[in-house]
Amino acid sequence: MAERWQDEEWAKDLWYSGKATRRKFLGLGAAAAGALGATLLVPPPWREAFGQAKPYKIGTLQPLSGAGAAGGKTALVGTQMAVDRINKAGGINGRPIELVIADYESKPDVGRRKAEKLAVEDKIDAHQGGFLSNVCLACMPVFEEHKIVNMIGVCLDTTITTSKCSRYTFRSFDYAPAQAVAFAPYLVGKMGKKWHIAFADYAWGQSTRDAYAEQIKKAGGEVVGTTGIPLGTADMTPFLSKISGAFDGFFGIFFGKDGVTIGNQAFDLGLTKKYRWAGDGAIAEATNLPALGNKIEGFVGINRYVPVLDPPLNTPHHKKFFDDAVARLKQIDPSGPLPDRYVQANFEAMNALKVGIQKSGFQGRADTPKLIAALEGLEMKEGDDFPQGDKTLRKDDHQAFLREFIFEIKDGKHRIVEVVPKEKTVFPPACKFA
Amino acid sequence: MAEQLLIQLLIGLSSGMILALVASGLTLIFGIMDVVNFAHGELFMLGAYMGTTVLVTTGSFWLALLGASVAIALLGAALQITTLRPLVGRDPLTTILATFGISLVLQNYALWQYGPVARKIQEPITSQFQFFHIQFPWYRIVIAILSAAIIGALWLFLKYGKYGIWIRATTQDRIMASAMGIPVPLVHTAVFAIGSAMAAASGVLFGPLVGVNHAMGLDWILKAFIVVVVGGMGNLGGSILASLFVSLLEAFASLWVSPAQAVIVSFVVLILTLLFRPTGLFVPTPK
Repeated sequence: MAERWQDEEWAKDLWYSGKATRRKFLGLGAAAAGALGATLLVPPPWREAFGQAKPYKIGTLQPLSGAGAAGGKTALVGTQMAVDRINKAGGINGRPIELVIADYESKPDVGRRKAEKLAVEDKIDAHQGGFLSNVCLACMPVFEEHKIVNMIGVCLDTTITTSKCSRYTFRSFDYAPAQAVAFAPYLVGKMGKKWHIAFADYAWGQSTRDAYAEQIKKAGGEVVGTTGIPLGTADMTPFLSKISGAFDGFFGIFFGKDGVTIGNQAFDLGLTKKYRWAGDGAIAEATNLPALGNKIEGFVGINRYVPVLDPPLNTPHHKKFFDDAVARLKQIDPSGPLPDRYVQANFEAMNALKVGIQKSGFQGRADTPKLIAALEGLEMKEGDDFPQGDKTLRKDDHQAFLREFIFEIKDGKHRIVEVVPKEKTVFPPACKFA
Repeated sequence: MAEQLLIQLLIGLSSGMILALVASGLTLIFGIMDVVNFAHGELFMLGAYMGTTVLVTTGSFWLALLGASVAIALLGAALQITTLRPLVGRDPLTTILATFGISLVLQNYALWQYGPVARKIQEPITSQFQFFHIQFPWYRIVIAILSAAIIGALWLFLKYGKYGIWIRATTQDRIMASAMGIPVPLVHTAVFAIGSAMAAASGVLFGPLVGVNHAMGLDWILKAFIVVVVGGMGNLGGSILASLFVSLLEAFASLWVSPAQAVIVSFVVLILTLLFRPTGLFVPTPK
């Protein structure tokens, strides 16, 4: 027996022995091409379960790199959870879902390009995803041009379903005006009449500020000042230190790492002790809590989803969703975060698409009008598909209405203090489809 | 108004010293090696992550500061040897592309290794003092003093230390330094390691104020580049002065204009500097 396996007789033809002949080269090349071809012929995993059924190709645009990657990764968990669950249960109308994932690097121009690629090259049947509002807005015309249903997963900018609404785009979760309608009576009635709003100075933050300013006024309160802080500002203290005067509450509209920054720095400057501290639930998202520590104690927020198993979220459907999400999130983050509204909204958005496809008998892009008709006015019932609760997808603007949770952070955890039924979150439509 | 001016002065000085610490590592690397290090922000971020790991293990903030600086210095040395040393003498664009590539790799590595959830570094001092209408955290004062101490130690090392003199000699004339027996490649590696350690130290120091996440370097690196240009590329003293200048300017501007406009101030300073004093504000005018 030879000392090195390469010197064995059987390996002589395989192993490079110092002389590369054309015959050897062609022979090995053909073998490699054959091996590659053979792997291509191996059916993808869903084939085993579904035979030769043609899959529904669903595209999902997410920011998996760049500044928004942290949120994009958790959002994708929700989408994948829904797809795996659907495929495990036999697919939709007997056809599996093939998820085509595209990373838009947190940039609108890349997002638009990737949306074009999904439409033209990948030939997707529908899209579910989107995270950053500016990217969602940039991609909406692409989906409209190619007549593809776009079921948004996270983007919260109000104009998506108001002034810039599209017949092809749906939002199966809440938006700022609905949250403001639900939260303003609590803010004014239980926390204080006069408010100062600090907000992330970009599309979503501005539209949310406007919504709260209007609803606080309607509820009998007053917004005495606003401070817009550019997205991604690492040191907010020069701007926060200017906030002073006679008002009752300090209201924050931030998300992601800006939520962590405002939570830490407003506490450090004593703002959250001097004034009642409230804001959009994105500040105290489960994925932000570890970085905020005890500085977020006492924060009162509103959110469509809070990761607790207390009533009314103590249902078996929510428990199932919660456990699956925790297990999957642990795979992408060793600290084992709890699910947030990004996981929930993407999970339910994919399920809304599934229900629409089932209802309409949608077969492919040619049936898009039928799918739109099925989704318009869709009633989603609380269950395994929609563990957050019932929701209605309004026909007039493709905006969903659902129950909201007003919560407080106590001992580092969310505690529901009030549940606002979906009927009390309704805001009049302001959309005219082109 | 005087009250607001004093508040902004304090904020501007404390923020300026953190920025100075980030920028001095950057300017040191450029001054000695002519390398524009686009991965500096990621070394800042990895330093903060390393700080969280050491903090969880030891429970000591100061050990986290030290441990993260040493670990990232070693990483910096390894990066210099494997990636930048082979590019010495090539077109400067290649080093820019190489460091940009490193920055992407490190950013995605952090996301993969640590996950998307932001981490916390608990500051060692949590108390505040009343400063007019605001409470000001003592920790910010500590950061400013520590940053000044680190930069001061670097200056003393460069001025009086044997190896500091090697570094200065390499800056002045690389070929002559080599002819005099100074191991220039080793000096370059050491300088990159020192710059990386400074980035890591600033990451750990600033971590408690913002939370640690994979994109935290992006917010600082742009500003650090601005002050390096405004202060004069490779000019350590100039970068420190420029850091304070830009931070104070932004802090004072926030009194009269909106935050979005205040942030533009540093870009306006950058453009004016490039137009009228391209060598930097704090270097003597070339004759």
